[in-house]
Amino acid sequence: MRGRRIIWTAALMVFLCIFPLSAGGSSEDDGVVTLWHSNSGVLGNAFDDIIEEFNTTVGKEKGIEVEAVYQGAANDVLTKVKAAASTGTSSLPDIAQLDATAALDMKNSDYLVLPGDLGVDTSAVMPSAIESLMSDRGLLAVPFNASSLLFYYNKTLFDSLGLTPPETLDDFAKTAPLLGEKDSSGKVTRYAFAGVPATYELGAFIGAQNGLSYMVNKENGHQGTPDKVLFGEEGTFKNFLEHWKKLYDTGYVSNITSGVSTEFAAGRTASMLASSSSLSTVINTVGGRFEVGTAFIPRTDENATGGVNIGGGAMFAFSQDEKVKTVLEYLISEGVQLKWAERTGYMPVNTGLYDDPGYQAFLEGNPQFRVAMEQTQASNPAVTGVWLPSAYQIYYSFQTEIRNVTENGKNIDQAVSDMVNTVQAALDEYAAQNLV
Amino acid sequence: MKKNERNAYLFLAPSLVLAVLFFMLPLAKSFTGSFLTISQSGKVLGFAGLRNYAALFGNPAFISSVANTLRFIVLFLPLNTFITLLAAALVRKKEKWTRIPEFIFLTPLALSLSALALVFKEMFRGSVSIMGRIFSTDVQWLDEPFTAMAVLVVLGVFLDFALDFILLLAAFRSTDRSILEAAEIDGASGARMFFLIELPAIGNMLSVTVLMALKDAAMISAPVMVLTEGGPFRSTETVMYFYYLEAFRSGNRGAETTIAVLMVLVSVLLMTLISRRRRNV
Repeated sequence: MRGRRIIWTAALMVFLCIFPLSAGGSSEDDGVVTLWHSNSGVLGNAFDDIIEEFNTTVGKEKGIEVEAVYQGAANDVLTKVKAAASTGTSSLPDIAQLDATAALDMKNSDYLVLPGDLGVDTSAVMPSAIESLMSDRGLLAVPFNASSLLFYYNKTLFDSLGLTPPETLDDFAKTAPLLGEKDSSGKVTRYAFAGVPATYELGAFIGAQNGLSYMVNKENGHQGTPDKVLFGEEGTFKNFLEHWKKLYDTGYVSNITSGVSTEFAAGRTASMLASSSSLSTVINTVGGRFEVGTAFIPRTDENATGGVNIGGGAMFAFSQDEKVKTVLEYLISEGVQLKWAERTGYMPVNTGLYDDPGYQAFLEGNPQFRVAMEQTQASNPAVTGVWLPSAYQIYYSFQTEIRNVTENGKNIDQAVSDMVNTVQAALDEYAAQNLV
Repeated sequence: MKKNERNAYLFLAPSLVLAVLFFMLPLAKSFTGSFLTISQSGKVLGFAGLRNYAALFGNPAFISSVANTLRFIVLFLPLNTFITLLAAALVRKKEKWTRIPEFIFLTPLALSLSALALVFKEMFRGSVSIMGRIFSTDVQWLDEPFTAMAVLVVLGVFLDFALDFILLLAAFRSTDRSILEAAEIDGASGARMFFLIELPAIGNMLSVTVLMALKDAAMISAPVMVLTEGGPFRSTETVMYFYYLEAFRSGNRGAETTIAVLMVLVSVLLMTLISRRRRNV
């Protein structure tokens, strides 16, 4: 019967549609190196130019074509890498640009190919950038875009008041009332500072205390998976909260968590903390309405001398392939790093550039870019970013506790112990699920 | 008839295969997984009993995400119902002029969810936002827990409006004329006519749209992801967004499977209510 046959055919076609889903895979060795990255805007343009230059020069010679795919912010790239890995290594890119939040997952994954295994020559890479990605498994990835936390300030305003950037949070609490402004009704029209510190900022505020403090054990998770929170019993988070509360109590700190640089550019806050990688973007957004200054971040107290850690991104490799090695070495070469640094504000990771006349001339003309470099050189290289599971949730928890303390009068000891419990629970959960 | 029955199953076969493959099997896997300890790479490490559930309910962030979702539902549901019903009621009698508002009311259907969320994000960004100008205020909409939730609710209404509007309008227009005419002859008019005759006549469809909106509200995640990312201070972190963070960002299989099981239970309950209602439409 014809009707029956049609039905059977239809059912069969459904099956045929399903099977290729599981059988799909990428074609091998066609000279294409896939690279997932997280650079958009100013950074995206600079990155695209770098990749295009590779494809038309070195890549053309050696028959390699880099296919750069923008996959959203760094944590989106991580999400996608993990999703791709869960369906098998064939859907992974050859290289992915990830940040510190990825380190723990990558370290414990079986699909990561270490730069050492690829034989990538990282001898010219700046030591603190190497340190920031060093683990008990060795170097996890090739540093590409190194940045650090910077204190951005409205230099025009500071100069007009005869003020210099604060050296400690206590200094800041003294000058904040001068920097802020209220209208006749007592409403704040300009804050001294806007933003709520989260994991990244606390990496410096806590990490710098007593020369070097870790947030969690195993050297912030670099020497094994962390299983114990340290910022509670060592009193470092409490110390930070006490000084931060003093600053907040001046009434000139705005607890906002989004659009901070928009507020800064609009002149509604005199200062903010942001990554040095935002420098070009911030200067563009301000558009000459006032002079943008950058400075070392204020220390938590006099004894917080550790400085800042290196953040930013690195190139994680997922295929053992000579082509991947070529691409990675190209990305950290002097020429590429110079171009990248000049156009974005990232610190060049290639130490060969530090006495390069071209780079020196650039710094001469753009003194704001020099500060990040100087701050890093003045920092203890052992101060490193913290590698935590559930990084996203913990990020929010820090902000929530800081807000509870500053706005809602929550007891500082209580806030510290709640925060310790949150992080400890995440560590325990991770250990239970991944370390047996 | 035996042969008819067999043909019916044959016609159903493709859908059944797909349903089993893509819905029932994953569901069963999630369900069993919620009682196991599974590593991030998917390896089963052992039996967990109720440990995953205990960890979930002991997590303050999860509890607050449930509270946020309930808060969203309480704000969203009445507002959404009222506005869509009002819009449908105003243009329920087909006349020449109603084509224009009908067209306008349907436009949200043409916009993708994330595009609309991005537009909202730009409209309400910072203290110098477009909305700030329009209302001449410098409220930082997305940086205050209450206003951020309010913006999310308005966005939610925008997203659900068009579909609910179509359904309600269709129900109004397909109401049996003879009932309305009989009521008219009996002297009913205006508000009495609307509340006592027309509204009860579309009652079933109204409850379907309410239940659908309830389901959408309970499952809201994508608008949160684009608009607020759960902020400020977790005040808009809904259950499904929490699920996304745990499952896809943190790779926490315990939370992933337990929330999936709980949410399936909730939505099965809602869908049962909806299909009960629909049978009567």
